[in-house]
Order: sequence, then C-alpha cells, then structure tokens
Amino acid sequence: MRGVTRPAADEPLPAAGLGRHAVGGLVRALVLPVARGLPWRPLAAGGTLGLLIAAGTRLHSDGVQPWLALLHLRAAALAFGLGLAFLLDDPARHTTATVPVRRLLRAGLRVALVAPVAVAWWGAAVLLVPAEGRPPLGDVTLEVAATAVLALAAAAAAVRLWEEPEPGQATAAVVLVTGVAAPLLMPGRWTLFVRLGVDRWDEAHRAWAWVLAGAVLVWVACTVEPVRRPLGGWSRSSPRP
Amino acid sequence: MTSLGTTPSVPSVSAAGLCLSYGSTRALDDVSLRLGHGVTGLLGPNGAGKTTLLRVLATAVPADRGAFTVLGHDPGTARGRHDVRRALGYLPQTPGFHPDFTAFAFVDYVAILKEMTDRSARHREVRRVLDAVGLSDVRGKRIKRLSGGMRQRVALAAALVGDPGFLVLDEPTVGLDPEQRMRFRELIATAGEGRTVLLSTHQTEDVAMLCNRVIVMAGGRVRFEGTPAELSARAAGRVWSSTQRHPGAKAGWRTGTGAFRNVGDPPDGASLVEPTLEDGYLLTLDASEVAA
Repeated sequence: MRGVTRPAADEPLPAAGLGRHAVGGLVRALVLPVARGLPWRPLAAGGTLGLLIAAGTRLHSDGVQPWLALLHLRAAALAFGLGLAFLLDDPARHTTATVPVRRLLRAGLRVALVAPVAVAWWGAAVLLVPAEGRPPLGDVTLEVAATAVLALAAAAAAVRLWEEPEPGQATAAVVLVTGVAAPLLMPGRWTLFVRLGVDRWDEAHRAWAWVLAGAVLVWVACTVEPVRRPLGGWSRSSPRP
Repeated sequence: MTSLGTTPSVPSVSAAGLCLSYGSTRALDDVSLRLGHGVTGLLGPNGAGKTTLLRVLATAVPADRGAFTVLGHDPGTARGRHDVRRALGYLPQTPGFHPDFTAFAFVDYVAILKEMTDRSARHREVRRVLDAVGLSDVRGKRIKRLSGGMRQRVALAAALVGDPGFLVLDEPTVGLDPEQRMRFRELIATAGEGRTVLLSTHQTEDVAMLCNRVIVMAGGRVRFEGTPAELSARAAGRVWSSTQRHPGAKAGWRTGTGAFRNVGDPPDGASLVEPTLEDGYLLTLDASEVAA
C-alpha cells in the first residue's frame, strides 16, 4: 500500500507551517470541491424568501414608506441569515475531522465562496425596494452585515459545541427565535432596533458596528480548533455511541 | 494501567496518563499505552472509552490531561498537531460523505485536505487507494448510489490516501456482511504492513485474525495490553463445559452441541476446554460489564 506522492510525514515544515505559496495552491485546489459541498439548497431557500419579503414593498398601492421598507429589509436579512445558519453543515465532517488543513481555512473558504452571492443578493433586495422608499442604505447594509455574521457565528458555535455534522436546522431555529424575540424583548435602553428618523439612529448604528465586530470575533474564536480543551471540556458534547 | 506481555521496543505511538471527561462522565481515566508497527486491536464493551481514545489519538478532540506522541510528533502544540495529522489516517465510527460526490471526487477532496496539491500526483494516489480497496470499477459512481460496504471502503480509501504512518480505524466492520468483513480484514491486514494500525472493534474474531497486539478497555481504563495469545491464556483452566449453566460462572451460554460453555472459576472436576480470545476478554471484564 505504499507509493508516496505527498510530502513525507516527517519532512520538516517551514517554521510557520505551510508557506504562502503552498496555502494559495491548497485554496485553489479546494475551491471546486468545497463549492460543490456547500449547502446550496438552504442558502437558496433563505435568499429566495428574503427577496420575496423585499419584493413585498412593491405591493403597497400608495408607495412604500421608508420605515416600512426598513422592516421589510430587516425581515429579509433575517431570512437570508436563516440560510447562512446552514453554511458550515458538512456531512463529511467526521471523515475529515483530522486532516492537516485547518478548520479556519476550510470555514473561511466557505464564507469567501458565499460572500459574492451575499453581496449580489443584497443588491437585488435593495433594488426590489422602490427608490423613493429606501431607508439610508449604508446604515441598513451595516445591520444586514451584522445579522449575516451573527448567523455565521451561530453556525460556528454549533460546530464547536456539538458533534452533529449538520447542525444547520437547530442553528437556524435559534437564529429565527433570536431574530424575532430580540426586537420585542430587548430593553428600551439598548439602542439597536430603532425606528427610522429617531434621534438615536446614529447611536444605534454605532451599536450595530459593535455587534458586527463581536460576531466576527465569536466566529473566529469558534472556528479555530483548540489544541487543549477549555475549562475542563464543558464546551463539547460527548460523541454519539 | 495494566501492562502484560511484550510492549513494542520502538513505539510509533506512545501515550501517558490520558484523561478526558464529558461533564461528570470520565471517558478516559489515566490511559497509557505504546503501539508499534502492525495491527493493534482495541476491545471493550459499549461505553468503555474506545472511541474517545481513538478520537484523542487521532487529534479529533484534545485530552483534558496526559500526553502522547505519534511518530515522534507531540500534538500538544498547533505545529505538532499539524505534523501528527500529516501522518494520520482516520476512519471514524460513523463516516460521513458528500453524497453527490463520486467515490473518486470524495477521496480526491480528502487528499487535497491532506495537503496534496499536485493534481496529477494526487490523482495517481487516489486511483491507487481506490484500487487497493477494490473500488476502481465504481470510482465514477456517486456515493449515494453505493452500498453500505462500498461506502465503508470509500472511507477506508480516504483514510489510506497519502500513505499515513498511523491508521486509526473505529469499528470499520460494523454493519458489514460476512463476505465484506472478510474483504475488510484483508485490507486492514495489508494496511498493517509497515505502519501502525489501531483497530477498535467489538469482534473478537477480528482481533484473533488480524492483530499482533490487543488492548482491552473498560470504564475508561486499560484493563489488558498484550498479545492475543496472552489474552487467551488468561482463560486457561477457567473455561469448562457442562450440561447446565453453572451459577458461579461469570458468563455461560448454550453452544450448538447443546452443552453449556462456562467462563469463570470452575468447580472441582469440571470438564475444562480450550480457551479462546473471547474467553480471555470476558474474564478481563467485571461481571457487570459482561452483562452489559
């Protein structure tokens, strides 16, 4: 069963692991199989639902008001987030659990492959809203980006905490409940889901920027594989029998 | 740790004091072992900690305490873990696949994840391992169209790709029919030539036929480590035949001949019979573990 075609296991690696050139080659080789393995169906479902919600702004006979368009776009972002909650679902997770290519690179590649789709989706969602009814696009784009990254962070946390190879459904349920409950239950002093035109609009969007930054940090922290178990192993469920 | 029989003089894998808990359940309790070249069988009842040990040694999950090395690499650092993974092939208990991938595409994908970036060399290697597991004819078939046994062979091919020096196989023959199991035994025996294979199994026949060493685990601890012959020898003088199940026997069952085979401490004048590996294994466990 011999016939080595890869670097020998005991061949010394560069000090920082794979060189930049080798990582580039890896990424190029991985693009196609990773793209093929992405959960396109839930992503497409979430995206389509989001576009339908955005298109709902055109159903108002007397033209849509910006505050109503804002609600539509927030709901559309949540729908797209539900699809993103499936992004790290990987039926081959256990089979590829101990490969040398790091999880951060694999998960990052998934995000990178979906990012252009997400940008195109958001562009389409905005165009579906009548121009006269569009809320401030920069601020709403920030909200949508934060929602999307929160969904990705939830997906990364699910992968980190559970052994389940495809935790997307449970993650999407958590994202949905959180997305619906947060605007209703969040204390009034927490400025996040503010109405258009109120004084606290700018303050709210500074808060959204913090949410986005926090979600990115959570995603990275959950995606990096720990060499040691944190806090005596509370963070992981036991393997299935 | 129990350590009987000869231990490998130059271990490929060496572990000391491995501990791991899931909540209040101690899955691994001070496990130490040394593995050399060849196939080592890992036996134990359900919940013994076999899968957890394999997952720790395969770097799928870090241990709470203890240390181990694989082919001289220490997975306690990011760099060391990377080096271990480059030398590792792992077939998990429940291998998963991208069902729309062909067998070739899936093994090729795993080969890329094992850092084989040269396309033509990689494809040669993928063809080699698919040929080795007898899947050359169906390499273009989607995995969802393959039988359970074939899928298991795809998983074995994925573990073998890149010619790893340490192969970890978690119950690879579960769910296979006898013919497929024989085929798998051949594959594992071949894989054990010149590399270290750790094979977790419930099948004592697998161990008897394949393994040059055996480890018995129960309750997260190593109960026995030695050769299959040494494990069988543990039951010498402690297996007897009778017309009824002996109440003092640790285990007893009616055989095809109608006589009862009893394992435990025999009464005076018992009709002793030749022990098997399974008898030795049963005697290594506590009565409650045998019942389980």
